[in-house]
Amino acid sequence: MGRYNTLMMDDGYVNYFQILKIAPDAKPGEVRNAYKQLMKDLVMEIARVEITGERRDRYLLEMAKLNASFYILRENDTREAYWAARTELIALEEAWRNAVESGEANVDAARRAYDAKLRHFLSRYVEEAMLEAGRDKGCVEASNWDAAHERHASRILRHYRQSLYQRILERLPYWEVTPPRIDWDERKRVVAAILAGETC
Amino acid sequence: MAAAKQSATTKTVSPDDVASALAKAILEGDIVNFRLLFAPFSPARRDSSQSFAMPKYAYLLPDDEMRRDTAFQRILELVKRPETMRHIQGELDANRPAQLPSELILPLADQAVRLEKTSSAAQAYEILRIRARMQEEFLAQADAALDAGNLARGVRGYLIAAGLAYDYAAFPEPLPAVPDYQTRALMLHGVYPERPEDCPGVRATAPFLSMALSYLLDPALAARLEHRSTEIRLAFLAEWVRRRDPAWNDFTRRFREAAAFARSFGARLERRMAESLGLAEEIEEQLGEDPRQIPALLLGRTVDPGEWWQYLKEIACEHPAGALFLARQAVGDCEILVPRYIADSEPARALGLVET
Repeated sequence: MGRYNTLMMDDGYVNYFQILKIAPDAKPGEVRNAYKQLMKDLVMEIARVEITGERRDRYLLEMAKLNASFYILRENDTREAYWAARTELIALEEAWRNAVESGEANVDAARRAYDAKLRHFLSRYVEEAMLEAGRDKGCVEASNWDAAHERHASRILRHYRQSLYQRILERLPYWEVTPPRIDWDERKRVVAAILAGETC
Repeated sequence: MAAAKQSATTKTVSPDDVASALAKAILEGDIVNFRLLFAPFSPARRDSSQSFAMPKYAYLLPDDEMRRDTAFQRILELVKRPETMRHIQGELDANRPAQLPSELILPLADQAVRLEKTSSAAQAYEILRIRARMQEEFLAQADAALDAGNLARGVRGYLIAAGLAYDYAAFPEPLPAVPDYQTRALMLHGVYPERPEDCPGVRATAPFLSMALSYLLDPALAARLEHRSTEIRLAFLAEWVRRRDPAWNDFTRRFREAAAFARSFGARLERRMAESLGLAEEIEEQLGEDPRQIPALLLGRTVDPGEWWQYLKEIACEHPAGALFLARQAVGDCEILVPRYIADSEPARALGLVET
């Protein structure tokens, strides 16, 4: 386990080391090289294929992720702030889970602390960082990101942020409702009855 | 202030009122009212200054007719189960956001689907974290129904599944996706048609159906139908339009009138376009009629100031499929919307836009 441990259960907490396919202790030069190579590959791929609406959205998101990876990881202070926020978030998730499992009285406080941190992390390191990176000189040079990209990307990044939030939510303890007992055979029968037009 | 607080803290709330209000929300598939009953200001809370006796909350309680309804009584029994009522009361008494009883939200969501309140159903299923899987189940059974030749059931499944979609890009929080045909229609007609085949309604049947289903449903849902025969997709389209748009026949009547009106200007229109002259003025002079009446005929009323896109948005909102058989047409220095389709095309006939 190194300083930047990426082996924890961290699905949904965007990992910019993985996006750049570099080791967590990669030096700034390696970050730059990896970014430039991946961006070059992406730009060449975009030039090769016919652009459909779905592809355009996907490529914009890929480009924004690469830009943000470079923007955050190339400097030690931004890299460390990002990783500290991420590590704290994972610890808060674990603390909430433990509070639920042990039936502690402060479970709601633990949930709220985690939820506030999660929303902040996703806003800061998914939406804001990706948009900021698009205005960074180094990123603009490599990706040709411009105002039109940014305009279009805001909706895509919001969607991506919420999708990550939903992905994380799926594995968390239920808090807004009691844990539902879903019998999928019964669900199939309900769907069949509704489609057959049966009333309540 | 102190008196108000005192009165709020000593208020008594009838458990029967709480149970009845919850049962009514479930029977009506109303997730908004259901959540309101657990909100901090809910009349169901003993520490709230609000009360069921207030006239403004009368809508939360069932009337006598609903109380006699057997479906309501069945739901009321479900709500009044001792363990459920214990949980409800505990949450209403606790000084924190309430944890809603999932055993009541599930029937509420199902009832919302039955009543075609799919936005409410989508929110309820989403809270239970089963929305995507329920949507997939409706689609799977709809596909099976189409395989078995049961068109009505298949279309119903697709309509429900489309209604259960969620928009995770909504700002500031995700919301149930709502059909935005006003926007989709503008995108469909965003580029002025230079050639006949640029008009949606003039395309051959198979590409027309792909485009039409993608516009009316959603590209992902339409892709599930792509492998089906042209006949089935055409029948699906016709059934979808009739189910989704009860006033479609009114539109087809107006469409035929507008098409006849537009035909009367056809040759003149082409000549004037080529000469870039003011058609409207000439026609007004010679016939006393104005082709700018065509969009108003299609919509059934006029819109000020009468831009083509205004008419398109209005028509798309009221009759989504109508936008598929229209085209932009330059007339002098303005543009209007005109009917544009192939007279013997299968989609136009299937949807009753031409006399058969």
